[in-house]
Amino acid sequence: MKQIYDMLIIGGGPGGYTAALYAARAGLNVILLEKLSAGGQMAQTNQVDNYPGFEDGIDGFLLAEKMQRQAERFGAKTELAEVYSLRLESEIKEVETSEGVFRARTVVIATGANPRELGVPGEKTFAGRGVHYCAACDGMFYRGKTVAVIGGGNSAAADALTLSRVAKKVIVIHRRDTLRATKIYHQPLLDAPNVEFFWNSGATALLGEGRLTGAVVKNLLSGEESHLELDGVFVSIGRAPASQLIQGQVVLDEAGYIVADESTKTSIPGVFAVGDVRTKALRQIVTAVSDGAMAVHAAEEYLAHLSARSLSS
Amino acid sequence: MAAININKEQFQQLTAGSKPVLVDFWAPWCGYCRRIAPAYEKIAEQYGDDIVVAKLNIDEEPQVADKEQIEVIPTLVLYQNGAALGSVVAPESKANIEEFIQNTLK
Repeated sequence: MKQIYDMLIIGGGPGGYTAALYAARAGLNVILLEKLSAGGQMAQTNQVDNYPGFEDGIDGFLLAEKMQRQAERFGAKTELAEVYSLRLESEIKEVETSEGVFRARTVVIATGANPRELGVPGEKTFAGRGVHYCAACDGMFYRGKTVAVIGGGNSAAADALTLSRVAKKVIVIHRRDTLRATKIYHQPLLDAPNVEFFWNSGATALLGEGRLTGAVVKNLLSGEESHLELDGVFVSIGRAPASQLIQGQVVLDEAGYIVADESTKTSIPGVFAVGDVRTKALRQIVTAVSDGAMAVHAAEEYLAHLSARSLSS
Repeated sequence: MAAININKEQFQQLTAGSKPVLVDFWAPWCGYCRRIAPAYEKIAEQYGDDIVVAKLNIDEEPQVADKEQIEVIPTLVLYQNGAALGSVVAPESKANIEEFIQNTLK
């Protein structure tokens, strides 16, 4: 693989594929690396209602496929590759992957974010065996069963509502004494007859044998611990940026987000960060796609400087 | 070669043979199953000569899923000579699936 691309994009979510679309249309030779399939977090949502242009909403997976096909129509390439390491400092940047080494003059980091883990004993053991991170994905397994949702934000509230329609009982475990979720979620949840709340509480261990059977829940005010019998636990405590790959190379903030402003420029020339992995106030599909366009604008400028410099030297 | 959809009878027949069979237990309502589908098709293309790459819809064949103790989908199970050699739940990447195949058939 001797080819040197103008732009290599890591991650096939909305930010990545918008960068691919704009790059391809700008005549750049562009490749996008995706480890699984298009869409990132968006592909896990079956109803996207806040992406303009789809008045009845659209399935996130479908929207991702559309974005991929649109970028590919203009010549962007996709490779299903998992990235192992990056060498970004020199002008020709190298990306080592499961499908070999790729070289490019610019790199766009569009790796997004992943669900945050609780970090308690038993969580890894029972992941997929009673411990889940997406109610819309795995909730159907808990028809008529008892489940807990851990968290109190919007996604936790949405998960609890989804599960309340399927499960026999839903227990919401939250560290504070009220939901952090926006008001529209509060009443439906409080009204649901099968939803119970454990306020000021956190799970300290997940229990089971072969699969999850319960959790140890600690009241953070009294310190009292109780054992809950559960068939499933849905962890919904926010997201963490997928920036491990690039840690120690570009500047990250305390939470691990890549420091970059609207220009998407990172601390390394020729390396750009788009979408949820970048420091920003609002993480949405619409802000990710806008980053994608911006990154190509900044990259074109960078590439023009590169070629001007090589001409004059 | 594309991944083939199999039913209970085909499952029994294929997994009994000496050619390894990779089965993706999935269902239409499972979001993550859709997400691994493009990678799974690539696997079928690349490994199709050496292993049978198959998909089994657990809604259509609940008995097979029960008997194979499939509790979470997607679960990929590799079979040979009538036995399950190993399984992987919700693989994170195409590379992850390849690692599983290579480590299991080693």
